[in-house]
Amino acid sequence: MKRFLVVLVVLLSVISLSKTTITFWHAMSGRNLAAVDNIVKAFNESQNEVEVVAQFTGSYAETLTKAIAAYRTGTHPNIVQVYEVGLQTMLDSGAILPVYQLAEPGFDWGDVVKPILNYYAVDGQLYSMPFNSSTAILYYNKDIFEAAGLDPSKPPSTFNEILEYGKKIVASGASQGGISFGWPAWVFEQMHATHAQFYANNENGRKAKASEVLFNAAFGQRVFVEWMKWAQEKVFVYGGREYSANTAFLTGQVAMLIQSTSSVGSIQATASFRVGTSFLPRLPEYPRGNSVIGGATIWVLKGKPEAENKAVWEFLKYVMRPDVSKQWHQSTGYFPSSNTTVKLLMDEGWFADQPNHLTAFLQILSGADIPPAQGVRLGNFVAIRDVVDSAVEKAVQYRGTDYEKEAKRILDEAAKEANNILKEYIQLYGK
Amino acid sequence: MNSRFPNRILPYVLLSPSIVVVIVFLIIPTAQSIYTSFFRVSPFGDRRFFVGFENFSRLFESSAYLHSLIITLIFAALVVFIGLSLGTVIAVLLNQKLRGLSFYRTFFIWTYAISPAIAGTIWALMFNPSSGPIVYIIRSITGIGINWMTDRTIALVVVVIAASWKMLGYNIIFYLAGLQAIPEELLESASIDGASSVKKFFRITLPLLSPTTFFLLIMNMLYAFFDVFGLIDIMTKGGPGNATELLVYKLYRDGFLAMNTGFASAQSVVLFVFVAILTILQFKYTERKVFYG
Repeated sequence: MKRFLVVLVVLLSVISLSKTTITFWHAMSGRNLAAVDNIVKAFNESQNEVEVVAQFTGSYAETLTKAIAAYRTGTHPNIVQVYEVGLQTMLDSGAILPVYQLAEPGFDWGDVVKPILNYYAVDGQLYSMPFNSSTAILYYNKDIFEAAGLDPSKPPSTFNEILEYGKKIVASGASQGGISFGWPAWVFEQMHATHAQFYANNENGRKAKASEVLFNAAFGQRVFVEWMKWAQEKVFVYGGREYSANTAFLTGQVAMLIQSTSSVGSIQATASFRVGTSFLPRLPEYPRGNSVIGGATIWVLKGKPEAENKAVWEFLKYVMRPDVSKQWHQSTGYFPSSNTTVKLLMDEGWFADQPNHLTAFLQILSGADIPPAQGVRLGNFVAIRDVVDSAVEKAVQYRGTDYEKEAKRILDEAAKEANNILKEYIQLYGK
Repeated sequence: MNSRFPNRILPYVLLSPSIVVVIVFLIIPTAQSIYTSFFRVSPFGDRRFFVGFENFSRLFESSAYLHSLIITLIFAALVVFIGLSLGTVIAVLLNQKLRGLSFYRTFFIWTYAISPAIAGTIWALMFNPSSGPIVYIIRSITGIGINWMTDRTIALVVVVIAASWKMLGYNIIFYLAGLQAIPEELLESASIDGASSVKKFFRITLPLLSPTTFFLLIMNMLYAFFDVFGLIDIMTKGGPGNATELLVYKLYRDGFLAMNTGFASAQSVVLFVFVAILTILQFKYTERKVFYG
């Protein structure tokens, strides 16, 4: 027995020596976790030099926190999935290896889908690998629309229509509520982008580090006033942060949902009703912008042996491969990252069969390609988003009638807090 | 002095493991927090600069922090009051000779064995605005749909209920032990003197339970201040709009979400001092009233 164990240990160490093991921390749960595991498994089976060990490390915020704590003690993973709001923090961290430097010369970065490139590229270079990109769209329950006497093929396209349809739905008793949001602060960011409004100064922090947020200006106040009115009319039902509002939509408690496209897969698989999707609702009097990218990218952390970094690149390249990216899109709803993949999907007729997967694409490709719609880059955005989430929660609780004043008060307070966070960030890292 | 240990070193050797544990896991981290509270630190820890007492002064200027402090005091007062009063009543009921007593006892006590994450999930599901059974029952009786995700007061009430429930088992165990230590003769002689059961409870049982109550008062207070992080994180994440953002949760948010380690350290120092003062005050004033029999 003992001898057998010794032989086993020796064998295992020989095998593990020949293979480079790299660790990957990510925040994909539920159906998306299975999709990540499938990619990793297929990669590990496709060759025998690199072994990727993927580990689910909690929500995006938890994953980032854990990665930072691990980096400080030298026990960090090779690669970590960080959500879009962590962009500035990661860029300034001094803890990363930019992927454009890691890539082999001649790698075709131009193949990355334009809006994704716009969002993540800094001076034209990608510092992290696009992985799961999404945007927000409107989901609606066609059965409830029909029950309320609305045309199920005519989803609302303006704020006024949301209110009008929502009131009808609630009054008819087809559902208790009209609409709910996932990721409330992110939806607020989306609203700025789709109406060509800056969220922060210095062109959303893309020209130089943002030192001041602009979301408490007239436009932000207007959006808050609308939402507060919806809430008082019982049309808007607050469903919590991140993905918790999905439950209300799936159980038919609300007829509409603004949520990330990453939920298309799970909502279609779970819903017991006909699901429709459409573009984000607008305030027609404001100019047209574009919805903005959300989701996460994969960052390579410093301080690992060269061989492991090479192995990391092999994996990242694999993730970008059209067939892999295609499968990832189909099982989750996240955007395929490359134009080649989009063509592949189109050629196979995927979008024709799956109109709900097409919605997001049409939306993001049909908008205006202007600076306010290319994404917001803020120092410690994680904390700022938390501040705005709280502001939304305060607004939808309001029961008075002085909407404008209350919206301004809540947003000014949030902006003050956010500006403090930006000030501290600049004190640490410089302008 | 005549020591029971002839060897002078042996006691220290025997104590050393626990001393090491206390130093490594309590004293060093505490010292580090105090040290860090004077700095501003970047998320990855690669940049830091000395800011003196700025983290502390910012703390007391921040309306969010003062709000959190008030919420915490309300929360702690409610949890301690509900925990102790309900704990006493249930323990007295469980101290009677009933059929299937061990069954009841187990069911009242097991809440303490549940992890905060599971307790939080259970209560979050029960109060889920769209599918929770409690919400459903309230709606069918009163016609009012309650949504703790959009109502500050309801959110706080739900968190208080969950936190008190979670600690109830602990309180019951100690009260049961306390009740069983009360000499039968005292109660018997009181009965002979014609005292009603209510009178017996307030005049004999309760005073004799006062050491237990005092102990539980401190334990429950520490629980309400420090141990409710898991519940809050699972149930409300401090929301809606900071309505349930207790001090420990705010500390976590500032330290681990906003990654402002210096500011969070300052908060932990203040929290530590605050609870230390409360405990000392309790020992000083409440303990006088404790009757050790």
